[in-house]
Amino acid sequence: MTKKTVRTIFIAVMIWLPLQYGIVGIVGYYHSEPWPAFVFPGFKSVYVYEDSFEIEQSYIEVWTEQGEQSVRLLPQEFFPDLPLSQVPGFMRTHFLTDEEERQFSIQAKRWLHQQAGRAAGLDAAMLDIVLEVNYYSHHPHGLERDSVAEKMRYTINLIDQDEHQRTI
Amino acid sequence: MSISERFNRWIFESWQVSAEGLGLLRILSSLFILFFLMPGYGTPHFNFLGGMPPDFYAPPPGPLMLFDQFPSPAVFQWVHTILLFSLIAMLLGYRTKLTSIITGLSILILQGFIFSVGKVNHEILIAVVPVVMAFSNWGAAFSIESIRRGHDTKTESWPLSLLALIIGFMMFTAGFPKILGGWLDPTTQATQGHLLNQFFVRERQAMLAEFMVQFDSVLFWELLDWLTVIFEIGFLAAVFSPKWFRRFVAVAVLFHFSTMMILNIAFLPNFLAYAVFLNWDGIYQNNLRFYRRLTGKRGERSKKRSALLLSAFACLLFFILNRLSSMDLVLRESDLTLHEVVFLFFALFVVMWIGLKKLFVEAEY
Repeated sequence: MTKKTVRTIFIAVMIWLPLQYGIVGIVGYYHSEPWPAFVFPGFKSVYVYEDSFEIEQSYIEVWTEQGEQSVRLLPQEFFPDLPLSQVPGFMRTHFLTDEEERQFSIQAKRWLHQQAGRAAGLDAAMLDIVLEVNYYSHHPHGLERDSVAEKMRYTINLIDQDEHQRTI
Repeated sequence: MSISERFNRWIFESWQVSAEGLGLLRILSSLFILFFLMPGYGTPHFNFLGGMPPDFYAPPPGPLMLFDQFPSPAVFQWVHTILLFSLIAMLLGYRTKLTSIITGLSILILQGFIFSVGKVNHEILIAVVPVVMAFSNWGAAFSIESIRRGHDTKTESWPLSLLALIIGFMMFTAGFPKILGGWLDPTTQATQGHLLNQFFVRERQAMLAEFMVQFDSVLFWELLDWLTVIFEIGFLAAVFSPKWFRRFVAVAVLFHFSTMMILNIAFLPNFLAYAVFLNWDGIYQNNLRFYRRLTGKRGERSKKRSALLLSAFACLLFFILNRLSSMDLVLRESDLTLHEVVFLFFALFVVMWIGLKKLFVEAEY
């Protein structure tokens, strides 16, 4: 490769890097982060709420028919085959979305039923997706959870293939 | 000196490389990827992804949007097999430029599908390193192609400048959103918030995490917020000076080490890229001296044999570490792995050793 070609490559890269960062910002704002892209995670969020910390935690509650039995699982327990680093993103994308985006095909419900059977050992009839907000603050004897608030709860009916919302 | 001359100097003369040093780098990088950085978690992971319904296929904006569902497990296995063969060819130095590029592309394809569950992990450097270094002619020594008569022995150092530029810019992209997000606001302690998030939500509770969760010092946590932002933004400026870039890489090792100890995030893929900026010719020379002292042999063949011995030793060590790590004997409650912890401690040791050596050598003068 000639020196001129290498110089051209460098100039192109020096123009491309900030340009693609701009694209990542715009596309990421409206959709999700593009890939492949030369970016590292920003960890922009600051989980501070007044004098305490606000931490969101999601759960999946597995219910048998007529609500006879239930098991509450962390998402990483429900989807043990997913790498832990991807679990919160997976939940955000597929389960913690707006109401109109929560559409699951019969195939998806069957798959979720299988996952529930493996993770909870139950013949699941429905799943409750729960999002809670925990408020932590420092006390003289250490960090403590002050309160918990349920931010979202909805049901995925695995049998009727009919999803309906309980409460939000 | 004109700007054009300075630009040329930065591209072509910032880094010194030798065929032998690059050869060692190629071998150890290949082994590192092979044992520790292969995308995915093997057949069970590929079967899981391949068996997911199309509802859960959420490709990030980009070429993966051309597909409407996950490929079958067989496709994952095919790409994985191509990656394996190209990586072994890169390790052995067979058609090194081509196989390095195929290695990088296969990694990109696998990563792309893995990230299509709805979460992109920022591990692109694993693919970038072989592709960029392919142009350094890192197959010029200790390789199958070097046996061939009339092979190309000319090495290039500009890929290191390019890689430094990419790393520096990527670091900047980590720092810039933090400023916008309020990390520098003295009334909020962002690092502490992230620790709590990792600790409670992702249950990353190994190493010093539990101790640090209870550690309540506004000054300490605010200082960490500021240092993180300064370090990540400053990396970009350091790109134009090899001396400063190496210093920032050293700080990066300390940064990742502390992140591992506190947040239980190791970010091992970055170490593949950081390792490129070690003095590989110096490592080769030291290894050769050690080999000659050990065996008493001083001939021309000792050059190849010393490199071969070091490579075999690294291969054995990586294999043992890989096996031990997969046995899950320690850190069972954590998603940190044994090899990540070992490598980060080793990197810390190397950085401190180089730092102390420089300190004492400079003090002598």
